Amino acid sequence: MQFCYTPEQEDLIAAARDVLQGEVTVERLRAVMRGDDVAPLWPQLAELGLLGIMASEAQGGLGQNLAVMAGVAEAAGYVALPEPLVDIAGVSIPVANHFSQSVAVEEMVAGGAAHFVEAKARPYMASPKFYNGIVSPEEASNGGYDLRSCAGMPALNTIDPLRDIVKVHSENSYALSHENGAVLSAAQLVGLSCRMRDMAVDYAGDRKQFGSAIGSFQGVKHQLANVHTQIEFTRPMVAQAALQKGASIHMAKLAARDCAMLAAETAIQVFGGMGYTFEVDLHMFMKRAWALIGEWGDYNDHAKALDVLLKNNGLETGPGMSFTN
Amino acid sequence: MDIRFTPEQQNFRMEIRAWLESNAPTSRLPSLDTAEGFELHRAWERTLHKDNWGMVTWPVEYGGRGCNLIDWLIFEEEYYRADAPLRVSQNGIFLLGPTIMEYGTDEQKKRFLPPMAGGDEIWAQAWSEPGAGSDLAAITSKAVRDGDEYVISGHKIWSSRAVFADWCFGLFRTEEGSSRHKGLSKILVPLDSKGLTIRPIAQLDGDPGFAELFFDEVRVPVSNLLGPEHGGWGVAMATAGFERGLLLRSPARFQAAASRLIALYKKHEERLSDGAWAQVRQAYIDAERFNAATYALVARVSQGQSISSEASANKLFWSEMDRAMHRTSMSIMGAQAEIEQGLDAIDDGRWLDGYMFSLAGTIYAGTNEIQRNILAERVLGLPKGA
Repeated sequence: MQFCYTPEQEDLIAAARDVLQGEVTVERLRAVMRGDDVAPLWPQLAELGLLGIMASEAQGGLGQNLAVMAGVAEAAGYVALPEPLVDIAGVSIPVANHFSQSVAVEEMVAGGAAHFVEAKARPYMASPKFYNGIVSPEEASNGGYDLRSCAGMPALNTIDPLRDIVKVHSENSYALSHENGAVLSAAQLVGLSCRMRDMAVDYAGDRKQFGSAIGSFQGVKHQLANVHTQIEFTRPMVAQAALQKGASIHMAKLAARDCAMLAAETAIQVFGGMGYTFEVDLHMFMKRAWALIGEWGDYNDHAKALDVLLKNNGLETGPGMSFTN
Repeated sequence: MDIRFTPEQQNFRMEIRAWLESNAPTSRLPSLDTAEGFELHRAWERTLHKDNWGMVTWPVEYGGRGCNLIDWLIFEEEYYRADAPLRVSQNGIFLLGPTIMEYGTDEQKKRFLPPMAGGDEIWAQAWSEPGAGSDLAAITSKAVRDGDEYVISGHKIWSSRAVFADWCFGLFRTEEGSSRHKGLSKILVPLDSKGLTIRPIAQLDGDPGFAELFFDEVRVPVSNLLGPEHGGWGVAMATAGFERGLLLRSPARFQAAASRLIALYKKHEERLSDGAWAQVRQAYIDAERFNAATYALVARVSQGQSISSEASANKLFWSEMDRAMHRTSMSIMGAQAEIEQGLDAIDDGRWLDGYMFSLAGTIYAGTNEIQRNILAERVLGLPKGA
């Protein structure tokens, strides 16, 4: 029992965080939002090994587990990364790996053509420019790892100004992709919550009214302390979910949803009228949070799944049972 | 990152489980805030101590087992699983004990820790004053040095269990003319001292759970000073950290309550609304979140990180979770919620007791408003208020 990252894992996550925060600046996000021709970070992410976090060392990856991937996903959430690093490194590669598609894995790890894994709880795909095909885990289970074309998918108008998405119909509820997807969307929501908290804290320290920084007022302080507390009590459940899966995944996604909504609503309140403008950066992070809350299982999906376990004695409750379920 | 227990940890769990099965009382003891209940709880402390289960994390020489914090969490899990009695010695074993280990002299450790572990000396706290509550640094009670003794005068309040306890640990102004956080000292005082008057205060449930202490030139030897003279604020804050943080409220307590709440819901399900279940689900999720966060915190502490201000987030989370959980139980019980015991009482009135007690949780150990200030200023770095 040692519920924390090893120093090596800490270092890896910190390195990813540094790169992402260094590269994915708000200036970059604004350029993406304007539709400027922004060179993708993809080759750089591949070079740093971030695409291969969950691929084996033999495949050119780092051989890390989903908990480490969650740490990186939190860092990606913090910067509202426009590129689908988390989907590919945390879902597509583990799925391809599960079906022994070594060639596909190695290609994705190296930053080459990626496969989108279709999933019922993930009805939208990031811009097809990142993918060369769609794979169905169900068909793969029956022996065929065949790519479907990305062409012809209808584009959708998302509130998230940093991503283009298209619609992918799927009834597939394959467990591995859904589990990883839910854990990693929760991790990104924790990262987004941290970002919105930090932005609001910075603003509250600068903005003066009544002759004082508004952050010196208890009415502001206490709201931000609440956000901080919710973050601190959500992150460990995301890590538990990454290691244990099962009911923890539902708890992690539900908690991350509540945490991110609270962080967003509190942050905009702290920013006041400025927070309601397109000019202030807050909205980019808030909107990504809204998008992720519904992806890979929304509140209803995870609440219902947890209820089935709790109401039908599918889960041992009480002290000492947390790590045995 | 590893969330599996080792075979040794599993064996430890089985050992304490077996011991509790043959030793823990099979029915709830009377409230420890009554004379009878207090002595029965003290007797239970002695039973625990007899087989070295009083405080497993303490060194063997002071009546413990030298266990690490993971073992302590396992002990707590089994303790609450067995629904064993509340710890009447909690002020001593969870708060003062660790403080003595950090700041005490060897003589103090030998003198105070073994009887504390054994339930022979039960401790109360003497910090708050009528004019010094959330603003604890406004303390005016004085301890004046007179040769080898301190002469203590002043008025303390909200001293839990002081009516029946044996000793108190207080914070007094030892430096003349000092103000605020400076010039305070932490001093240990026997509650049967000459010049000390204890006036019981009835709590919400009517029992004398806390008291006012009137010190009228109470004399104690200088050797009862804990930590540096005039440096009591730092010592007290270490104790407060234990109170808000890890030791006082382990996750097991809330996981047991959440589990009972699910059972309560199921029993009354037919007449309940969907909204009631949403609250029950939230209680379970929050207890599990608190558990995950505690194991993560223990892992960081075991690697040498200090928790300091993080304890404030802990206190906010458990106290508000506890209140929400018990509020939910009140709404599930409907009209029967008001029945304390006997005919129509649900679970012998424990939810009502729990709800009342949960209302204290957001106040004691530093109000939640104070905890939010600490988090905002010391963790988030927001400017201090005017």
